Amino acid sequence: MTVAFADRPARGRAKRPGPAPVIGQRVKVLGIQTACVAVLLAAWQLAVVSGAVPESEVTQPTAVAHRLWDMLATQEFWSAVGETAHTWVIGLLVSLVVAVPLGLLLGASTLLYRMFRVTIDFLRTIPPVVLLPLALLLYGAREQTALLLVAFGSVWPLLLQTMYGVHQVDPVSRDVARAYQLRRLDFVRSVLLPSAAPFVATGVRIAATMSLLLVVGSELLGGIPGIGAQIAVDQTSAAQIPSMYAYVVVATALGVAVNLLIVRLERRVLSWHSAHKSQQEA
Amino acid sequence: MAFGSQVTTRGLTRRSAALALELVVPAAIVVAWWLASSGSTSLYFPPLSKIVSAFRQIWLFSHVGPDAGPSLEHLAAGYLLASVSGVVVGVAIGLLPSVGEALAPILEALRAVPALALVPAAVLILGIGPSMQIGVIVSAAVWPVLLNTADGVRGIDPQVNDVARSYRIGWRDRLLRMVLRAASPQIVAGMRTALSIAVVMIVFSEMVGSTNGIGYQLLQSQRAFDIPGMWSAMILLGILGYLLNILFRGFERGVLAWHRGMRGASD
Repeated sequence: MTVAFADRPARGRAKRPGPAPVIGQRVKVLGIQTACVAVLLAAWQLAVVSGAVPESEVTQPTAVAHRLWDMLATQEFWSAVGETAHTWVIGLLVSLVVAVPLGLLLGASTLLYRMFRVTIDFLRTIPPVVLLPLALLLYGAREQTALLLVAFGSVWPLLLQTMYGVHQVDPVSRDVARAYQLRRLDFVRSVLLPSAAPFVATGVRIAATMSLLLVVGSELLGGIPGIGAQIAVDQTSAAQIPSMYAYVVVATALGVAVNLLIVRLERRVLSWHSAHKSQQEA
Repeated sequence: MAFGSQVTTRGLTRRSAALALELVVPAAIVVAWWLASSGSTSLYFPPLSKIVSAFRQIWLFSHVGPDAGPSLEHLAAGYLLASVSGVVVGVAIGLLPSVGEALAPILEALRAVPALALVPAAVLILGIGPSMQIGVIVSAAVWPVLLNTADGVRGIDPQVNDVARSYRIGWRDRLLRMVLRAASPQIVAGMRTALSIAVVMIVFSEMVGSTNGIGYQLLQSQRAFDIPGMWSAMILLGILGYLLNILFRGFERGVLAWHRGMRGASD
């Protein structure tokens, strides 16, 4: 029976900042981590060089790094990265603007929530890539195609997290607001939004990962300029296989960077919030 | 007796009223779609009646065997493989915090790989066919399960371990009844994320590198300008996604029944 309660309090404890770890220990951990990465890369290198994995299929890491270094100097590379990043950011912003007000509304009204529950449930389970052929017909190999996909894919986690956040508003604050006859707009601004904010932030994190996946995917299949299209083009010629892997590495680096950025931003902006420990996955 | 029957009828009306409330918007959307598209001459938005008849022609049931069957089979194989390996490795990492710490950068990077970008590489390595599709599903869906499992196992109250040790509970019981159980809310949450990723991966991999499957049908009908056929594949995938979600919710309810009970029926 105790087991049932085990995960919650323990999680809270794990998250609490303990005494700052000794610097020496941190260096040691960093050393071990670097060693692990090095071993992994060496194994990859060895697998290709020894011929266990044919070089026509997998490029060894040194060659990928070399190619990546060369690519950094090209205009083509930076414009591809720029296109992908642009689509991604715009797509996320569009879904934020659509999802958060809707989420506040649906979260605050039980009637509306119940009316739209089935529809939302249905729409959010549609795999977003399903829209790709239709979007390609409508917009062709242009940014709008990817935007449509990204918006459709990331609007649902944001909407659900916002609704969830509204449901989590402290009943006491709600009563206080009522007792002081707070005006509706003030209530939204000073009670609803702040308490929903960390949940929206979690939604942004989930949506950001999803969006990057969808941007790269629609570029890949639709030939829309960006990292994905470069991967698709490079795949077709043997000499360009290292570039293909280099672009995969770049896309991954983009994903890691954004994850770190969002987590840091969240920590800074929401450090005041008691519910900031929330880690719900949508 | 009269009173009792009155109560049940009232309960019944209330329940059907609630159901009607939930279904009125979806019904209105379908009706609006039907009416708005009925005279449509637009190439890309054909009348819903045409889509429905295409759906009947294609998916009831001539293409179920050759296309829907393989899709579901590969999805199931990839998803199960991802879930099982995610849980196994996740438990290992969760039980050995130092290993988890050492591997953290690698896991963090692998999780961030936009898996769709790996599909061309997977086609090169594994060729076109089921093994490629299953491979890309696993490569994408394993991470949420693995990381959530590790997180859940790591979060188990140390006291639980002490109690288990002092009662001399064997490692097998400890693993199956304690560790897995205590981590199950997180494992299930990871599996839910993994399921939607897996569906995206199967559809995409069928579009890029396959000669059958629903995703293949979807892209083929778009390329052949068979627009009602394209819409019917989209609708089928939508329904499939929804059904998988309902199935998963049932699974979740079964696995986590004890957990919901402990936390009260509120959520």
